[in-house]
Amino acid sequence: MTTTHTPTATLDARASAGWLRRFARTTPGVIGLIAVIVAASCVVAGVVVGGQLDSRIAKGDAVLDHSEPFAYNAQKLYAALSAADAAAATEYLSGGLETAPMRARYQQALADAAEALTDATLGASDAQTRTTLAQISAELAAYTGQVESARANNRQGFAVGAAYFREASSSMQTSMLPSAEQVYTEALAAVDEDQKAVASLPVVGLVLLLIVLVLIAVGSLILVGRTNRQFNMGLIAAAIAVVLVAAWVVAANVFAANSIEASRTQGTARFEQLANARVIAQKARTEETLQLISRGDITAGEKSFGDRIGQLTALLQDENAAGSVAAWTASHGRQVELYQGGDYPGALAQAIGPDPSGSAALFASIETSLNDAIEQTRTTLRDDVSAAGTRLSWSPTGTLVLMVIAAAAAVVGLWPRLKEFL
Amino acid sequence: MKVRIAMALVMLALTSACGSPEAPQAVTVTPVNAMPGGAEQVGTAPAAGNADCDREASLRPGPQPAPGAMPPGSTMANILARGRLIVGVDQSTNLFGSRNPATGQLEGFDVDLARELARSIFGDPNRVDLRVVTAAQRETALQEGQVDLVVRTYSITCERKKKVAFSTPYYVAKQRILATKNSGIRTAADLSGKRVCAVKGTTSLAALFALDPRPTLYGVGQWTDCLVMVQQGQVDAISTDDVVLSGLLAQDRRNLELVGASIGDEPYGVGVKLENQDLVRFVNGALDQMREDGTWERLYQANLQQVAPSPGPPAARYQD
Repeated sequence: MTTTHTPTATLDARASAGWLRRFARTTPGVIGLIAVIVAASCVVAGVVVGGQLDSRIAKGDAVLDHSEPFAYNAQKLYAALSAADAAAATEYLSGGLETAPMRARYQQALADAAEALTDATLGASDAQTRTTLAQISAELAAYTGQVESARANNRQGFAVGAAYFREASSSMQTSMLPSAEQVYTEALAAVDEDQKAVASLPVVGLVLLLIVLVLIAVGSLILVGRTNRQFNMGLIAAAIAVVLVAAWVVAANVFAANSIEASRTQGTARFEQLANARVIAQKARTEETLQLISRGDITAGEKSFGDRIGQLTALLQDENAAGSVAAWTASHGRQVELYQGGDYPGALAQAIGPDPSGSAALFASIETSLNDAIEQTRTTLRDDVSAAGTRLSWSPTGTLVLMVIAAAAAVVGLWPRLKEFL
Repeated sequence: MKVRIAMALVMLALTSACGSPEAPQAVTVTPVNAMPGGAEQVGTAPAAGNADCDREASLRPGPQPAPGAMPPGSTMANILARGRLIVGVDQSTNLFGSRNPATGQLEGFDVDLARELARSIFGDPNRVDLRVVTAAQRETALQEGQVDLVVRTYSITCERKKKVAFSTPYYVAKQRILATKNSGIRTAADLSGKRVCAVKGTTSLAALFALDPRPTLYGVGQWTDCLVMVQQGQVDAISTDDVVLSGLLAQDRRNLELVGASIGDEPYGVGVKLENQDLVRFVNGALDQMREDGTWERLYQANLQQVAPSPGPPAARYQD
């Protein structure tokens, strides 16, 4: 049965291996061996370095196509949910006769949330994140139901409307928003990971290039010893090509790293800072309206509002919105003054009235300004990551081509030496 | 032999590669059954209502000062100087204290009573600053001086009288049951094995906890939260003072009914900080005036006539 393993075949294999060993000790054998080893190592190093550069470009594409859009949508989801709650609260406070713009703001927030949920779900690769998003989706459906129950009861003059609204807001604040925040925080961390990967130096590839150089040097020395000739031009050309590749790889990586650094400080870090500021502003606004809805002791609410404004001011000190935050704080101060003085309608007007110097208008201007800044930061981030990709874009092909040229140079350069013996 | 093993390995590799790929993991979502914030099942005994004491007896009023002329150095004089009487009320109990959604204003028997007390001090019922306090916040709000008075369906109990002072009762409520029409609940005994809602920190919850056998109890923040839980099918009944219940009933007449005999009487008093005895006497004097001059009757007609015909104001009793 074992036809392939006849004793003859084994003998043949042993005989040819022996012949190869003997041939390798002869000068033409050594020259041939050097040519094969140098050419092969050049090609292998070229493939490995090219592959490593390729994976960095792929990481950059992953930031642009996947992790950054996901983080953006997660952020948008959080902001939209929070905005929906703030809009519903304002609408509730305004009494049975909801004004059209308030209703429109609530509807817009729900539409934003639906967009963000769909886009985020598409970008969520792991089952756990998708489960969290699905849970938010289910809770959002229940939330809108409760808000409509609140509205229907409110129109009939039933106090149970307020209870439905409190239930809705409570599920928003204690369940949906924390879930959305978690998704968003993890998404931003993933963006940062991918960005770092784009700029990392391909160490394995560089070490391989160094090994190739050492092999060429050793080969050249052996050749000089065996043939009593000067250094082989082919091997020198191969060495130059390898050095060129190494220089290219390092330079491209340094440039890419610069772009990535810019994308992280001007992009990711600022994006995170602005998005945090937006979240804190929304929380402070909800706090402000809830004080008027619960209409009780506001000591705890005031402390929390003050803390949030403190954080907001610290985050936004260099931003356009800083002035509006100060104005808003002043407007809130007037609201509290009116409230403490027992002038509830006055406090209500200060908080949700149409006055351009009132809290509602100032909050809207902060929200708009933060939203614009976030969009702008997003563009910066994407441009920088894309620039990093451009810096690397030709490097895999270039590396491979140069390394094949190096291999060819070695073979072509050694061929005349080998031919002298044939 | 080696070839066979190699062939077998190759076959294995091929078949495993050709097998149907596992479907991507599907997400599972638990159904959303939202309850009002802070709702929880009550497992431990709430603070007991009534030890042995004459809970309705309060401090006897002295000569009643005229509005705007409070005795110097008294608590009322401080309030007069401040310009507003700060009163803790409810915003979610129909008939006693609720917000009119159309106007945003608070209204009800308790709110009107607070205005009358402001009239007694200032001569002007509008010099009142209404602050919403939850049932559980009532004692602390008084003790920490956030409010001068609490007029908020505040049952007088011996336990509470250790922490705050009460006026004479201005209304006597009866604890009854508000159940869904098809629940089969007719009396307190029928509550066995049912789910019942009450506000945390109330005497109603303590009375329900004392029932034997004890129903499954849910504690919430406000009475309207109980109505939400009934409408969402999370509890079968609510039990508390009849006036509170009729306020809830008015919001869902079609599906709910008020049943059962009284589980207990709940005299409502105006809560005052324990140390402010002069204010207790002043409020009692003002309440006496309202009983006599028909103001009490007027407030009853304006707010509670729809519940039952007026039983007349509860009699004042003094502890000396």
